Amino acid sequence: MNQPPDSVLNSRVLHHFYRDSVALMAIASATEKRDGVHRVGAVMATPANLGILADSDMLPANLDAVPDDLVFVVRGDTADIAQEALDAAEASLTAVESSGQTEEQKPGTVSEGMAAALTSAPDSPPNLATISISGTYAPVVAEQSLRAGLNVFCFSDNVPLDDEVRLKKLAADRGLLFMGPDCGTAILDGVPLGFANVVTRGTVGMVAASGTGAQEVSRLLDLAGVGVSQLIGLGGRDLSAEVGGIMARFAVDRLAADQGTEAIILVSKPPADEVADALLARLAEISRGGKPVVACFLGMADSDDPSTGVVIRGTLEGGAIAAARLAGHDLDITDLASIDPVTGRVLGLYTGGTLASEAKILLKRAHVECEVLDLGDDQYTAGKPHPMIDPGARAERIVAAGSDASVGIILMDVVLGYGANADPASPVAESAQEARRIAEADGRRLEFVASVCGTAGDPQGIERQRNILRDAGIILAETNASAVRFVATQQAGASAS
Amino acid sequence: MTILDGPLRVINVGLPLLVEGVPTADVVQLDWRPPAFGDADIARRALALENETTTEANERAITAVQSVRPQLTRIRPARDVVPGIGEGRILLHAGPPIEWERMCGPMRGALIGATLFEGWADDPDRAEAMLDAGEISVEPCHHHQAVGPMAGVIAPSMPVFVATDPNDGRVAFASLNEGLGKVLRFGAFDDEVINRLTWMRDVLGPVLDRAMQALGSIDITSLIGQALSMGDEGHNRNVAATSLLTRRLAPTIAALEPNSAAVEVLDFLAGNDHFALNVSMASAKLSMDVALGVENSTLVTAMARNGVEFGLRVAGTGDEWFTTPVGPADGLFFPGYGPEDANPDLGDSAITETLGLGGFAMAASPAITQFVGGNPDDALVATRSMRRITMRPHPAFPLPPLNFAGTPSGIDVLKVLDTGVLPLINTGIAHKQAGVGQIGAGIVTAPPEVFLKAARSLAEKRDIS
Repeated sequence: MNQPPDSVLNSRVLHHFYRDSVALMAIASATEKRDGVHRVGAVMATPANLGILADSDMLPANLDAVPDDLVFVVRGDTADIAQEALDAAEASLTAVESSGQTEEQKPGTVSEGMAAALTSAPDSPPNLATISISGTYAPVVAEQSLRAGLNVFCFSDNVPLDDEVRLKKLAADRGLLFMGPDCGTAILDGVPLGFANVVTRGTVGMVAASGTGAQEVSRLLDLAGVGVSQLIGLGGRDLSAEVGGIMARFAVDRLAADQGTEAIILVSKPPADEVADALLARLAEISRGGKPVVACFLGMADSDDPSTGVVIRGTLEGGAIAAARLAGHDLDITDLASIDPVTGRVLGLYTGGTLASEAKILLKRAHVECEVLDLGDDQYTAGKPHPMIDPGARAERIVAAGSDASVGIILMDVVLGYGANADPASPVAESAQEARRIAEADGRRLEFVASVCGTAGDPQGIERQRNILRDAGIILAETNASAVRFVATQQAGASAS
Repeated sequence: MTILDGPLRVINVGLPLLVEGVPTADVVQLDWRPPAFGDADIARRALALENETTTEANERAITAVQSVRPQLTRIRPARDVVPGIGEGRILLHAGPPIEWERMCGPMRGALIGATLFEGWADDPDRAEAMLDAGEISVEPCHHHQAVGPMAGVIAPSMPVFVATDPNDGRVAFASLNEGLGKVLRFGAFDDEVINRLTWMRDVLGPVLDRAMQALGSIDITSLIGQALSMGDEGHNRNVAATSLLTRRLAPTIAALEPNSAAVEVLDFLAGNDHFALNVSMASAKLSMDVALGVENSTLVTAMARNGVEFGLRVAGTGDEWFTTPVGPADGLFFPGYGPEDANPDLGDSAITETLGLGGFAMAASPAITQFVGGNPDDALVATRSMRRITMRPHPAFPLPPLNFAGTPSGIDVLKVLDTGVLPLINTGIAHKQAGVGQIGAGIVTAPPEVFLKAARSLAEKRDIS
């Protein structure tokens, strides 16, 4: 091996001093990293090791060492550099005692999680898996969970439809709930999962194929003083023809058998016809069995068919009022008094998908021209967090609307509860004030109407959130439906004037 | 009255946000990563494979493996004991099958050396020509119930360790360790190498065999178990096992042999810290082979490298090899050498990890923890992480620092895919040029691809698509 002609080879022998070869190789490797050091050898001076040094031209002449001796050899640019390297190598023989702390291995798989949970609390085994990983892998983890006897709350979206059907059948066969995929909300035994409000425990059991729809109905039941016994999520596709309402059926049966549940409300977009028929037949049976049932199918005509006993409501607010009444409570919603008519069209900027749907349905029924955006829809999020988590994207749109001369009223939801942003009101308030300044500078009047989907128990503090909105001049309605009615009245007034 | 069975207790896979409203004490948050190294298709097949049939087969396989108590019985010329060698011109090598043309430098060198040693050629050029012409068959050790470290070359007249299963008489073989420096297993074939091999054939082998015949047998499992409590891990650190073995043999050798031969042999053993490695390998091979062909089992029965490819065998797929190109080990180097000199990973010695020694038993071996980060706690972490991919602790290999719990033993392909944890293998590092020898040592992880391939094949066998 060719060494630089001007390099220096220095050595040090520690007599009768033993270290394992691996320890010495580690020291050599560390010492070799010093500036100006070319090669370092750190070996016990056995004939074999000295042979290795000789092979790489690292064996000093006249080395006085026997196999029990430790030898350091350093080839460096200068004698000083080599000497310092030898000092460093020798110093590193003195180890600093380690703290002995090792990090506990965190469980990485469902079966490891089961084992860890059983170790820490053998009498109380896990009974639910919450899954929010990529939809590519969610079916695998969901199946592992079901096989382990766990109910599943699957927030992940982009799960193939055939997987959903397969997993829901597997769950139902095993007597387990499969909530999802794309399930945002559940409350089980009073414990909120995902995006859920802190709702008083009560007697109405909910089954919901929509996230913010479930939140609006549950918080209105809380407001009515009824409370919720259970809220079982289904995911948005459960009542489609493909999935056939497998989990809806399973969940209403579970609630029908639940002693803590006195009335049931099912919240969904209108189901596929054959699914609706089968499900309504089952709901009628439950109703005849003594547990009254509300089917809240968004957009359907309200009806109280005495032959089946199933109350059908087409709005979230209507569903909540009907369910409260079945549980013996009245929910009175006081609509807002009208104000000076506003010119300009209605723009809905929603973070909650079902709340946006309810607004569209009611505005359509009132024949009001409008544009209602569900900003949580994939086309608006595109890789960014959901606007209920990160309100920034909606704030930008509110400000932008200030420059849109065609807009007269902006309709909004503000969703509180677990999962939601810690202070969703402030960005709405600030951006609304900014938009109003822009509009007024242009000689226009811009009004903001909102409802807060929240409860007194929510971590954000509902009164504080309401005050922030009110202080910014935002008109607050009690429910989303009430906010829409107010807007519709204004528009009717505007077109009349 | 609860809607689920009992109070809500959650396993959370993904965003902690989802369980914000659940009391912290009731949540187990997983440190999850995509299964099957991100291959969703294989993850699904692996899940489909995970059923009663597999569990039952694995139970049988690992019970059989851990019940084997290999005995060192003889040291015999390969041609007399290794099946399929006979009188033909055949040489065995490490790792999965590979043609002579594709072999790495050290393996080619070792085969040339073995050709010279057998007297089939007079000089290296002639030996190379014979190998080029296919006049000498080359086959994996693993196809002949044998294992060899590094190039792993076994020639018919070389002595081999014979490990015997006292229950059923099965046998497995390993070459005898030549020591460090210029040795055949790193591809060296000069006179010094051939002379040593000749001495091993004519003196060492027969002396050891006479001693073994007088002793009857040595229980390898208890030898290794004891060595684990003395700081060996059964693969890269063998000084305790070698000392124990030498101590067992020395009085008998001294009693039986003329003084000069006894001194030579004992001197050789005293100068070769790795002599017992090959005994450990033969014993691991014998243990793992009992599971060969256990239908539906996902137990790994062999990991081996030929310097070009890494090979994996699984009980349920019998003698099928799953292979993928292999890289060099990440390690520490002898003075004068660095990563640029390293040959891709080589040798059958990973059979020790397959059973639960070596990288899996790092906790036993504080002296060589520099391979895994430098401090003894890192060694405990390494061993614990191997628990995640193995079937159960080996009852005969207790680890003192882990309260004498057994080493993690029996790699399950399905657990590797589910956890994404790869087997850790302690290994020597060969110079890529034939004959330079060992230039370092370090640690490698088995490549993910072989486990994906194994799962695909296991699934095909079971008609899972």
